[in-house]
Amino acid sequence: MNLRAQNWHEPGTPGEWFKRICSVLNLAIFSVTCIIVVSEFRFDWCERLVGNYLSFTNDTRPENGAIWDAGRHMVNALQSLDQMALARENAGRTVRTADSFADLASKLGPGEWAKLDKERFRALYLSLPPYRRRNVVDPVRLVWLLNGGATDRIFCEGRMGGMKIFFIDTRNRVVQQVDLDVQALGNKGRRAVIPGSLDNAPDFFGRIYPASLFFTAVSRLPGDMRSDLILNTEDLLSEKGFLDRVGVGNSAQDGFICLGFEFRHLGESRVVEVKAREWAVWQLTLVLRGEG
Amino acid sequence: MRLFSWLVSLVRLLFYTGLLAVGIMAAAGCLMVFHISRDLPKLPSPLSRIIETPQSLIYAADGQVLIALGEKTSVSLDMVSPDFLNAIVATEDHRFFEHHGVNKLRTFKALYITLFEPGRIEGASTITQQLAKNLFFSFEKTWQRKFKEMLVAFQIEQANTKEQILEAYINQIHFGAGAQGIERAARMYFDKPAQDLTLAEAALLAGLPKSPTQYNPFRHYDKALARRRVVLSRMVAAGFLTADGAAKTDALRPELHDGRKDARTGSYFLDAMIQELVKMYGEDVVYHGGIKVYSTMDSRLQADARTVVMEGMARLDGLMGLDKGVKEKPQAALVAIDTASGAVKAMVGGRDYYTSEFNRAVNSRRQAGSGFKPFLYYAAFRDRKLHPASVFQDKPVAIPIKGAPDWYPQNFEKRYRGPMILKQALIHSVNAIAAQVVADVGPAAMVDVAQACGVKSSLKSVYSLALGTSDVSVMDMAAGFSTLASLGICHKPFLFWRVEDARGRVLFEHIVKDRRVLDAATAFQVVDMLQGVVDFGSGRGVRRLGFKRPAAGKTGTTDNYNDAWFTGFTPSLCVSVWTGYDKKKKLKDKNRRGITGGRGAVPIWTDFMIRAMKNEPVRDFLIPSDIRYEIVGKTTGCLAVPRQNMADKADSPQPVADPAGTIRVALKKGQEPCRGY
Repeated sequence: MNLRAQNWHEPGTPGEWFKRICSVLNLAIFSVTCIIVVSEFRFDWCERLVGNYLSFTNDTRPENGAIWDAGRHMVNALQSLDQMALARENAGRTVRTADSFADLASKLGPGEWAKLDKERFRALYLSLPPYRRRNVVDPVRLVWLLNGGATDRIFCEGRMGGMKIFFIDTRNRVVQQVDLDVQALGNKGRRAVIPGSLDNAPDFFGRIYPASLFFTAVSRLPGDMRSDLILNTEDLLSEKGFLDRVGVGNSAQDGFICLGFEFRHLGESRVVEVKAREWAVWQLTLVLRGEG
Repeated sequence: MRLFSWLVSLVRLLFYTGLLAVGIMAAAGCLMVFHISRDLPKLPSPLSRIIETPQSLIYAADGQVLIALGEKTSVSLDMVSPDFLNAIVATEDHRFFEHHGVNKLRTFKALYITLFEPGRIEGASTITQQLAKNLFFSFEKTWQRKFKEMLVAFQIEQANTKEQILEAYINQIHFGAGAQGIERAARMYFDKPAQDLTLAEAALLAGLPKSPTQYNPFRHYDKALARRRVVLSRMVAAGFLTADGAAKTDALRPELHDGRKDARTGSYFLDAMIQELVKMYGEDVVYHGGIKVYSTMDSRLQADARTVVMEGMARLDGLMGLDKGVKEKPQAALVAIDTASGAVKAMVGGRDYYTSEFNRAVNSRRQAGSGFKPFLYYAAFRDRKLHPASVFQDKPVAIPIKGAPDWYPQNFEKRYRGPMILKQALIHSVNAIAAQVVADVGPAAMVDVAQACGVKSSLKSVYSLALGTSDVSVMDMAAGFSTLASLGICHKPFLFWRVEDARGRVLFEHIVKDRRVLDAATAFQVVDMLQGVVDFGSGRGVRRLGFKRPAAGKTGTTDNYNDAWFTGFTPSLCVSVWTGYDKKKKLKDKNRRGITGGRGAVPIWTDFMIRAMKNEPVRDFLIPSDIRYEIVGKTTGCLAVPRQNMADKADSPQPVADPAGTIRVALKKGQEPCRGY
């Protein structure tokens, strides 16, 4: 028990009570309390104080809540859209820079598609070896598609192991669809060199002739037919070794037949395959058989 | 004296205890503010950033904007009718211009009621608090959330003027029907800018934020008016309006903008399309990416489809004796597809989008009944040496099923007609013959044909599939018949032609690929049989109701009359219509007779076709070169008149069947009817 409590005594009269209640300390505490409460109701200083504090710390606080989420959704959306557009632009660039259909097909991912303008298609088409062109689109049909006004736009779409090319009219309808295989396109019709002799190639079975006999028969063909038989002799001319035998293929593809030229060099044999015009080869075969 | 002394002591005790409590509370409050404020969300500056999300636009085929997703059109206060501002302030927070984020007296009152009157919860949110809640917080009712909301309200008040706060508030509140912000709401409901709103309109809109769904004027006009009465009385109480003015305004019934209502009813179409877009690109891109989508919807056909379904349903209600008070009413769905491309031109997924958003056109799967028979007959013509003039016996049959009891299919009319050719069997939808054919061909062939035609729902390879016992969607039926209409060329149904990003870069473009899945001549034979259905069979209601153009189709009615279908087409447009209850319940008329596809769906189909084909040139189905027509006996399948080869004599008139027991059939080269003449 402290000293003040020991000395405390109850006021004897109401006047003394009143005096004690209205003491300076009591009045001061009461007034301050009233001022605080009334001023808060009147001036909202408490709210302002908190508001100021929160404004001061605003930048340090997290960006969460519905409005920030919406902003994030928007950023995500715009990023996704940019990626899609970028992928499309890349595909477009691939189309512009590809030097062949095979190059284009190998660069376009599955499901990726790009617009191919008519001039670009024409250039890629003409870069194909003549016997390959028919595989893509029949040349006569292509004239109609590109020059006859049947095609409004051309799209190509990548797929596993190849690509599809769509010729579209003004109503977005496919007027011609081409399905190209990378492997088939990759073989550009240039020579194929196969180690071994013609005897190991079943395609030429029964139609293998000594080179001298073959070229004698060739020399007996009419001049225009001879020049049309093998379009490109560069591959054969660049080959080293001695030309021993020539095989004639049995099946035609797109107007061409395969001829196999067997070279011997340093004790090894190899066969160089080249394409030759079907009609000229049949004529040559007749000569080889002594029927022409 | 002792009593007085005791009283004074008590007062003194109470005062100091209260003072101590207030002090402790203040300290605790400060600590809480410090503690909680670390997790409070950051406030964007300026507040107008809240409207920066770009809107995604969906266009109809004619270029008209159908809907703007995530659209927030922001307007400044001077572009808004003062009546609306007065109304919203009076209704939501009449002391808005006086407080600093929180209305303390209302808060104490609400606190008292919440604490001391169990079961009652009193709200005291000011406009600033509502803004804070809408921008940052979920709608869970916890004291922590309320406290955080209050703190953010303080910051909003501190960092912005009252005008900025009010502007942000009216630009982000929801008014229902997809309208966010006052400008969108004014245009949605009244087709006018917010600054032109009259008092009657402004007061109506000011009442909506409390419960946009419950007071949606398109759906509940009277409830919206009742709510407006509350708004007007608060305006009077707040001194914005005289009692007389309020009474006069209360008597006015503002006219709603019907065009927007139509667009929203097309929402079955839009919902299906948005669902597909979300599947392709995700919600963020669709709702926040500002993309542009060019849909296949033909606004005119869509409006026609909506009208004919509404009218058809009203007619069906009358036929069934259902008055307005009946809660459970039958539903309908319609899908219209352009046969040349597969573009979906119109789609209605129910009688009223506002009552039920469930899209029965794509999400509901029901038995198609006899509507599935065309696929069976195609399979029979393809896999067996059968043709439309092949004769079968309409008789009671028992189909043996391996490992199960025999199947005894019955005709719909429970009677048997004896011998008849297959064309007649389809025209009269004879189940006994369909059962014999499926037993011969096998259900797998039928599944193969239906799926090749574009039916996506999984089909059970069972004999009863011939009678349409597998569940399919209305879209399936429209797609499948569309392939028949284009004589075997399948086009995948699609809902949009093109998607672009906000900068106009093309993200997707639909390319129409013709995929031949059926032989053209055989498909034509089925189409010719289906023309017979419309001209003489269960679909002849089409002709009776006035549609005279070349058309083909098939009705379908399931056992117990649970589903009534009609799927039919002209050479250019294929439409499938379904009617029935959502639950498995019979469609019966007042006389307790079952309602068939011919009575339930054919009138809707015909009404739609009459409207859709108006001003379109009349086109006949193209006859493949190896098809010829012959007149044969309906029961014998034998030639009734000497042969006329249509391919050889292209300009000769087509043979016309003698009404007495003969009918025209389409036969392919090499197919011979019996020679009975």
